[in-house]
Amino acid sequence: MPVEVPKEKWPGSVRTITLGALPSEGGTRKRVVTVGGETAMPFMHFEGEIPNPPVVAIEIKDRKPDDWSPLLLETWKDVIDDPAQWAAAAEAAGADLIVLALSLTNRNGEPTSPDEAVASVKAVLRATGLPLIVFGPGQAEADNALLVAVSEATKGERLALGICEDKNYRTIVATAMANDHLVTARTPMDVNLAKQLNILISDMGLPLDRILMDPTTGALGYGIEYGFSVMERLRLAALQGDKMTQLPMIVTPGFEAWKAKESKVGEGVPASWGDWLNRAINWETLTALTLVESGADIVVLRHPESVKRVKAAIEELMAAKSLVS
Amino acid sequence: MSRYIAKRAIRGANALVREAELMLNRALKEKGEDQKVAFPNTAYYLPLIYGMTGIAVEKLEDLVPVIEQAKRLLHPMPSDNLWTPYLGETLDSGMATLLAAEAIEAIRFVYGLQPERMPGFTLAGGTSYPELDAPNNGRVGHLNGPIDDIQLRSWGIQLVDGRMPGFAAIVGAAKSNEVAVKIVRELQKRNILCFLSGNVNGRSIIHQLIEEGVELGYDTYTVPFGTDTISAIYALGFATRSALTFGGLKPGQAREILLYNRERVFAFVLALGEVDDLKYAAAAGAINFGFPVIADTVIPEILPTGITKYEHVVSMPFNEIEGADDLEKAERLVQKCIEVRGVKVKVAEVPVPVPYGSAFEGEVVRKNDMRVEFGGKHSRCFEYLFMAPLDEVVDGKVEVIGPSFENVEPQGHMDMGIIVQVAGRQMQEDFEPVLERQIHYFINGASGIQHIGQRDIAWIRISNNAAEKGFKLEHFGKILHARYHSDFGAIVDKVQVTIITEPELLQQWLAKARAAYDYRNKRLADLTDDKVDEFYSCTLCQSFAPNHVCIISPERLGLCGAYNWLDCKASYNINPTGPNQPIKLGKVIDPVKGYWTGTNEYAKIGSHGVVSEVSMYSIMENPMTACGCFECIVMLIPEANGVMVVSREDPSMTPAGMTFSTLAGIAGGGLQTPGVMGVGKYFLLSPKFISADGGFKRVVWMSSILKEMMAEELKAVAEREGDPDLIEKIADERHVTTVEELLAWLEEHNHPVLAMEPMF
Ligand code: SF4
Repeated sequence: MPVEVPKEKWPGSVRTITLGALPSEGGTRKRVVTVGGETAMPFMHFEGEIPNPPVVAIEIKDRKPDDWSPLLLETWKDVIDDPAQWAAAAEAAGADLIVLALSLTNRNGEPTSPDEAVASVKAVLRATGLPLIVFGPGQAEADNALLVAVSEATKGERLALGICEDKNYRTIVATAMANDHLVTARTPMDVNLAKQLNILISDMGLPLDRILMDPTTGALGYGIEYGFSVMERLRLAALQGDKMTQLPMIVTPGFEAWKAKESKVGEGVPASWGDWLNRAINWETLTALTLVESGADIVVLRHPESVKRVKAAIEELMAAKSLVS
Repeated sequence: MSRYIAKRAIRGANALVREAELMLNRALKEKGEDQKVAFPNTAYYLPLIYGMTGIAVEKLEDLVPVIEQAKRLLHPMPSDNLWTPYLGETLDSGMATLLAAEAIEAIRFVYGLQPERMPGFTLAGGTSYPELDAPNNGRVGHLNGPIDDIQLRSWGIQLVDGRMPGFAAIVGAAKSNEVAVKIVRELQKRNILCFLSGNVNGRSIIHQLIEEGVELGYDTYTVPFGTDTISAIYALGFATRSALTFGGLKPGQAREILLYNRERVFAFVLALGEVDDLKYAAAAGAINFGFPVIADTVIPEILPTGITKYEHVVSMPFNEIEGADDLEKAERLVQKCIEVRGVKVKVAEVPVPVPYGSAFEGEVVRKNDMRVEFGGKHSRCFEYLFMAPLDEVVDGKVEVIGPSFENVEPQGHMDMGIIVQVAGRQMQEDFEPVLERQIHYFINGASGIQHIGQRDIAWIRISNNAAEKGFKLEHFGKILHARYHSDFGAIVDKVQVTIITEPELLQQWLAKARAAYDYRNKRLADLTDDKVDEFYSCTLCQSFAPNHVCIISPERLGLCGAYNWLDCKASYNINPTGPNQPIKLGKVIDPVKGYWTGTNEYAKIGSHGVVSEVSMYSIMENPMTACGCFECIVMLIPEANGVMVVSREDPSMTPAGMTFSTLAGIAGGGLQTPGVMGVGKYFLLSPKFISADGGFKRVVWMSSILKEMMAEELKAVAEREGDPDLIEKIADERHVTTVEELLAWLEEHNHPVLAMEPMF
């Protein structure tokens, strides 16, 4: 007996956004990355198009990070104090994109200067042909000082600059507008706040196809349901035709998962928790995959093994497309 | 549109375009078509021409079509009696003037006449001219000329992100050197960029400032362009480039560039001294950009707002400005400029000698720690905020009239009145009570200060600690000024505070304040749903109840009790993209149950399709949904043919067989459940409370705490319903906790519901 599969028909779609610019477009990237464009809920190939698979970014720092898990430090130990080498290693590990997170202070403990930030970014751009996302240290004043310098020094590269937040977005948006970059807009797990920030940013004159939204998430076991639900609702609203939610989503499961006790702590935990490294990678992988299933277009990870697993899973999810006649 | 201005602008434009043409022809002859033409260090060619016409001028011959275009924009001089000039002609002339002016400056560069030489003068940072600045061939003193791209970027970002509120193009010369300095200082104080140019009879504000030793240049945010009017063109070149750089606009998109500036660049022209034809023409050019012109002399005004967001031309004759001396007048003049263009001022910090922040809001000052109190048992304290015309409010002025508390004994008390006058273009009388209520939060933010109550039952304590640190009465004013600007800048442009302790004056103001409170109470009572054409939505709670929206009308406040219609209206004005959006009512579908096309449509959108209709006045049919924040739950008791009202603060059992917390699970979650509704407690008093189902008379049971808390108000409701003893007829948890008991009670007390028709 033939079974009729009920299908949802959506009037709206997610915007298509391209990161990075090729030499012919005024940049120096060897490859660009396009995300978004979905006309159906994640991987519902039979209901619409998922033209661009979710992509995986690897997060690197401009110097050896102070607060990362020893497991990560060990993994990247040969390159961890050199952003250029680290970027190259990340590319080799299968990243589609690089996220360079600038540190608040340099190796000597002094505030990172705009010149140092520019030097790191340029070194990374030379070392890899992948598109680049640059995050400031996360303090308004430092973010603005460093990102403006980076933005001007890399005009035309179509970097994504972040992180724009409710309290501090105007300077980042202004410099992105002037130098042909994109921005990422982060709001704390709330559909309306996400929408509002997108409105405020586009009100400044930055076209919507240069904004990635970061709805924030929690790690597995640390509020991921909440993050999942917010992302799902944002995506539903987008497909229903709400323009201000039709932006591709970027989330940082690597950052979240490596904060969790399960991945951070190796000693003094129940034996039944099993092997530390394996557990940590599972934590990151599961967090990321859950978010991919809720509509993430870019997931930012930290461990190469998680990258491998998440990419393999995405490939399988995308392969289901061929099953749809 | 002033015929006089039009005439003079047209005449000025004709003359300047003519001059430009002559200069160009001569230059073509003397220097040749291929002579290079450029401003220093810019990728935007001659920026205004590039932006407005799309022509990238690189050689002299490229200027020919520019002059042609300017000529096409010229209009013949209007004859005195036949022809009435209007805005279009004036604006065209303005644009022609700008094109000509930039062409002239470019040709002057060719002849080495720009930047203007000024022997002995050194810029405090400026556009670099290697040939002039090189020390070895005897540094040549010069003014700045056009702003280079590097500075454009740095200032442009600040203008876009709001760190810099705007720029002032000052043209001419001030009444005296002293006044010139004061004007510039006042602007600098507010972080407003000053571009200087022009002269009156050969004297320029640039001369005045240099004579007074004021440093001019990029570093001090004051850029001397040149001592003639034509050099003012550099200000508009700057504006054009910011639109190209930060607005993502393309050269040649003249209209878009002008609109961008009108909407986003808060600039104005301050014309000091006599205004000649050329200045009129240049002013007309600035108006194209939406930059208003304020003159300190008598000139005709252009007040209708259209091209500029505000007035086009404002005359504020210097000698007629109120003020004790010239310096005060200068200050007023600058204030006027800021008002006209609507430049928003920010006050970074609350200037008080004690720590300040919302962390201190809940602080209590106990009697033993108290230095002095105002209000409470032994004295009177009141606060009164009202709006006044912009001219009548001096922003930042704080005045204390009467003695301070120095001579009051420790732990003593005194009377005080806090009068706040606010003004703003977006301010409305309806916002007065909303703003006035903020005084409580604002004052409480100071460490060591406690504020309770409002209106004429306010009660303020200052702790010993705060007094020792130097907290004085004037600081109340400082706090209010800073906070109103930072939190309500969208509707408030100016704030002036007067603190009164002088007994007689205090009584006078108290009487005025009380009259105002009365008036507001009446206004609120009169503000009924049928008197407005929009309600407001509130989606604040969607963060945890994703599909719930409160629809708030004048007679139905939000279910949390925290937002009424006026609050929403003010909140929308302050934050137009925020959680409170106006809902246009559209057509009435059912006035009794409270259906409008607008509210239904909004319910659908706001609930993301979960709810398709909402009735404002019925609990039985499509009642409003609830998030979980409700102060009370209203629920049908079918056996009693009425409803019960349970307060959040009542933990006891109800006749429905459930306590509040169990009921909350049924009422919340953003779903429509006929017969159940979450409401704010003041909605119980509204004539619209379940009016479609019989109104307040349907209440058969009510938590006693509500009866106590709102005793007065409920009495009035009972009167309104024509049954003065109604409240006594309503059961509560003290006597009735089951349906059986309830039915017996209703019989015994002869509750009106017994005679009402069935609810469903
Ligand atoms: S309960 Fe209050 S805050 Fe929440 S949506 Fe309703 S009015 Fe807004």
